Amino acid sequence: MNTLKKVLIWLFITVINVLLFWVFFTLLAFGNYGLGIVVGIFLAIADWAVFSKKGYPYRYTLPAMFFLFILTIYPMYYTIKTAFTDYGTGHLFTRDQAIQTLLTDPRFNYEPQEGKTLDFRVYVRYDEKFQPTEDFRILLYDNESIFVTEKLSDIRYDSKGNTINANTRMYKAQDDYINLDSSSYRLIRSVSETTLEPFSARVDNISAIEDSQKIRYSYFYSINDPSVAGNSAFYASVLRQKYIGNLEISYDTLRFRLSDRNIYRKFSETYKKYDILVTTENIGQRNVYKTIVVNKLASRNLTEKDGAFWDYDENGNLVRLEGYVQDIGTGQFEKIFKDPKITGPFIKIFIWTFTYAGLSVLFTFAIGLMLALALNDKGLRGRMIYRTLLILPWAIPAFISVLVWRNGFFNETYGFINKFVVTPLGFEPLKWLNDPFLAKVAVLIVNTWLGFPYMMTVTLGSLQSIPEELYEASSIDGASRFKQFWKITFPLLMVSVAPLLVMSFAFNFNNFVNIYLLTAGNPAMANTNTYAGETDILISYTYKLAFEGGRGQDFGFASAISLIIFVIVAGISYANFKFTKSFEEVSR
Amino acid sequence: MKKLVLIALLVSLSAIAIFGAKLVVWTSEKQVPFMKKMGEQFTKKYGVTLDVQMVNFGDIKSKFLTAAQAGEGPDIFVLAHDNMGELVANGLVEPFEFSAVDRKNYYDVAIDAFTMNGKLYGIPYAIESILMFYNKDYIKDPPKTAEQLLKYQKDFTTKDTFGLLWDVNNLYFSYPFLSGFGGYVFKWDGKQYNVKDVGLANAGAIKGGNLIKTIIENGMPSSSNYGTMDSAFKDGLCAMIINGPWAIPDYNNAGINYGVWPLASIELEKGKSLKPFAGVQGFMVNAKSKNKALAKEFIINYISTTEGAYTIYKEDPRTPARKDVAEKVIATDENAKVFRDAAIGAEPMPNVLEMGNIWSVMNGEGLVNFTNGTSTPEQALKDAVSKILANLK
Repeated sequence: MNTLKKVLIWLFITVINVLLFWVFFTLLAFGNYGLGIVVGIFLAIADWAVFSKKGYPYRYTLPAMFFLFILTIYPMYYTIKTAFTDYGTGHLFTRDQAIQTLLTDPRFNYEPQEGKTLDFRVYVRYDEKFQPTEDFRILLYDNESIFVTEKLSDIRYDSKGNTINANTRMYKAQDDYINLDSSSYRLIRSVSETTLEPFSARVDNISAIEDSQKIRYSYFYSINDPSVAGNSAFYASVLRQKYIGNLEISYDTLRFRLSDRNIYRKFSETYKKYDILVTTENIGQRNVYKTIVVNKLASRNLTEKDGAFWDYDENGNLVRLEGYVQDIGTGQFEKIFKDPKITGPFIKIFIWTFTYAGLSVLFTFAIGLMLALALNDKGLRGRMIYRTLLILPWAIPAFISVLVWRNGFFNETYGFINKFVVTPLGFEPLKWLNDPFLAKVAVLIVNTWLGFPYMMTVTLGSLQSIPEELYEASSIDGASRFKQFWKITFPLLMVSVAPLLVMSFAFNFNNFVNIYLLTAGNPAMANTNTYAGETDILISYTYKLAFEGGRGQDFGFASAISLIIFVIVAGISYANFKFTKSFEEVSR
Repeated sequence: MKKLVLIALLVSLSAIAIFGAKLVVWTSEKQVPFMKKMGEQFTKKYGVTLDVQMVNFGDIKSKFLTAAQAGEGPDIFVLAHDNMGELVANGLVEPFEFSAVDRKNYYDVAIDAFTMNGKLYGIPYAIESILMFYNKDYIKDPPKTAEQLLKYQKDFTTKDTFGLLWDVNNLYFSYPFLSGFGGYVFKWDGKQYNVKDVGLANAGAIKGGNLIKTIIENGMPSSSNYGTMDSAFKDGLCAMIINGPWAIPDYNNAGINYGVWPLASIELEKGKSLKPFAGVQGFMVNAKSKNKALAKEFIINYISTTEGAYTIYKEDPRTPARKDVAEKVIATDENAKVFRDAAIGAEPMPNVLEMGNIWSVMNGEGLVNFTNGTSTPEQALKDAVSKILANLK
C-alpha cells in the first residue's frame, strides 16, 4: 500500500515536471521570454520544495501562488502593458514581425508585366537504394536557351524550422555543356541525333545532368509532363515545400522565382520590393540606430505613420502595407479624455454605470426590505410559502429569466406589456428596447427583479437578529410603529446590511450578463465614433471594444478602460472596508 | 547547463518541425465531407495530407484572428466575404493573382465581393441574397412592380393579417428599397470603395425611404422585425415577406405553400428595381501560412473546378458562384433559378472595415428615426449620413 502511494507520488512529480518543462521550452521557443522564465523559476522552486526539508511548508502554498500568478497577476500585468499600446485590429504584430513580413512574404514581391518567364524541369540525384534525395538541379528553358542551376546556398529557416529563403545561380548551356565557376555540367540526352529537331523537342529528351565528378542528376519532374506525374508528391511536398518555393535564382542582374501569377507552373522574373536599412540618428550625445524599410524599386523610404508601414502604389496613392503594435504611452487615456467623440460617450456611459448600479441597489433593497418586513410579521400566515415563492426569481438562472423578460415582456409587438396592457388602453406601443430612456427603464426593471430576493433574504436574517426587547421597551415608551422602524429597525439593520449594499453596488457596477443578454448595450448611442450604446455600462462597453466592435477590435483602448474600472472598483472596495469598520464601531 | 538548455531547445524545435507539409482547412459542417473527398485526391497527387477541421461558421473569423496572430491556424478557411475587411486590415489574408481565376467563369458579383484595394482575396463558391417569399394562398402571381406590391399589401392587410413584413429597421433588409432608386453605401469604382462617398441620403435613397414610409402608412407596423415577420409568415398570417434562403427549411417544415421571387424582378420605375446586398462565400488562404503554394493550388485546381464546385453544391445547395455550375443546377431546379437570379441581381455587401460604422448608425437611428415617425425620411437619412461621415477619422 505504502509503495503504491510512493509510486503514485513520484509519478505525479514526474508528470508535473515534464509538463512544466514542456511549457517552459515552448514559451521560450515562441519568444515569450518573460512568462517562460517565470515558469522556469517556479519549476526550480517547486522541485526545491519537494526535495529539500527546508522547503516543506512551501509545498502547499506554491500551487496557490502559481495559479495566482498565472490567472491574476500575469493578466493584470498584460492588461496594463496593453493599455499603453495601440494593440488591436491593424496592429497585431511587432514591428520586427511586420518588417520580416515585408521582406520575406511573396505578397511583396514584384513581377514585372513584361518580365521573362521560364519553364522548368527538376533533376534529382538518386541514392544507392534508388530513392530520390533532396539534392537537385533545376533546368530552366524558354524558346531560345537552356539554363541549369547550381547547388543551393544561403538556406535560412524561421523559428519553426520552415525555410524562408534559399539562393542559387543559373548558367546558360552552350551545346549541352555548362561551365560553372568551379566545375561544369553536361546534359545527357536519350536520343543522340539532335541537330534537326526543333528547340523545344531538344529539352524533352534531356534525361540527366552530369557534373564534372560524374554525379548524375536524373530527370525527375516537370509540370507539363504526365509521364512523371507519379513524382509530383515528392516534388510538391518535399522539394518545392522545402526549397524551390522560396528559391531565388540569379542570372546576371535578373532574379527569378516560382511565379505566383502562373500558379507556380513557371519561373518568372521576380524582385523583392523591400529591403532594410539601418540608419543612425544623433540624439544628444548618443547615436540611435533605427531600422527603416526602403522600396528598392523606387528607392524611397517607406512612410511610417499610425503604427503602420505605407507605400505609394503605381497611381501615387499612399497604401497601407503592414501594421504593428506600437507603444503610444498614455495615448489611449488621452483619447478617453480629449477626443470629444470618445469623451462624450465615455462620460455618458460612466454616469449611467453609476446610476445603474446605484438605482439597482436602491430598488432591490427597498423592495427586499418591504417584503422582508412583511414576512417578518408574526401575523402573516403561510410565511414559508411566500418566502419560497419570493426567492424563486433568484433561483432561476439569469440567462433564462432575462430572455423571458426580453422576448416575453418587452417585445414591441407581441410582448405581454404592449399587447395586453399598453395597446388595449389605447396608447401607442412602447418601444421598450429601442428608446434610450425606456431601454434603461427595462434594464432596471429586470435587474430589480433579479436582485430583490437576495436583499430580502439578507434583510430577513438581520431582522430576526434584532432583539425583541427593544420593540417592547419602545412601545412601552409610546413609540409608534413608524418611529420604531426608523429609530430601531433601520439603524440596527444597516450595521449588518450596509457592507452588503456596497458589495452589491460593486457587483452591479460590473453586472455584464444582465446588460448583455437584455439589450447588448443597445440602442446605439448617437454622435460617437466608438461602438457605444445607450444602456452600455463600462464593462460591456469594454467587452464590445475588445472583442466584437463593428470596426474591428481595439484591445489597447479596452485595456485602458478596464484599468479605469479597476481603479473605481478598488476605490469602492477600500471605501467598503472603511465603512464596515465605522459601522462596527457604532455597534460596539 | 547552457548546453543542456540548448539541446533541449533543439529537441523541442525539431519535434515541431517533424509535422511537415499538411494543409489545415477550417470549414463549417456542410463542407467537411466534400473537402475530405477532394483532400484524398490531393494527397494522392501531392503527398500532402489535408486536415479538415470543422469550425462553426460564426466562429471562424474570431478563431482565425487569434490563431493567425500566433502563426497558427488553418492554411485554408471558408468565410463570407463581408468578414474580410478586418482580416485584410491585419494583413492575415493572402491575395490571389487575378490570373488564378478565369473571370468569365464567375458571376461578377462573386468576384467583386472578394476584391479589395484592387486585389482578389478569396475564391468565391456560393452567392446568395435575400428575396421575397410569398404565401401562395394569398397571392398567385408575385408582384412585378412597386404599384402591384403596394396593392397586394393593402389587399391583404387586415385586422389579423399582414400584407407585407420585413425587418424594416435593419439596413440589411431595407437596403433594397434605398438602393433600388439609386442609393448606395460606398461608391464603387470597379476596383475599390470610396468610403468617403456615402450615398445613403442621395435623391434615390430618399425616394426609397419615402416608399418604405408609404408601406408603413399602409399598415406595416414600424416595429416589424425579424421575429415578428418570421412567426407571422410561419403562422400563415402574412402574404409577403423579405428573407434569405436560409429560412427555407423552416417554412417547409411549417407547411406553408410559398413561392420565392427575386427582389430584382420588382420594378420600381422604368429600369430600376429593388437591389439587395449579396453575400458571397469563398475560400481564403492564411497569409501567415507556410504552405501558401499548396493551399492556392488546392483551391484553384481542386475545389474551384467545375466538378469541384458541383460537388460542393451537392453537399451545400447554395447558388454556385461559377456560371457553368449554376447553369447546370438551375436546369433541373426551378427554385434554384430564382435564387440565382436574386443573387446576381444583387450587389455585394461592402467588404471594407468602415461597414461597421454604417451598420451601427443606420440600424441604430438612420432607419428607426423615420419609420417611427420622429422625422421625415429625408431628414433622418441626411442626419444619419452626416453622422457616418463625422465618425470617419
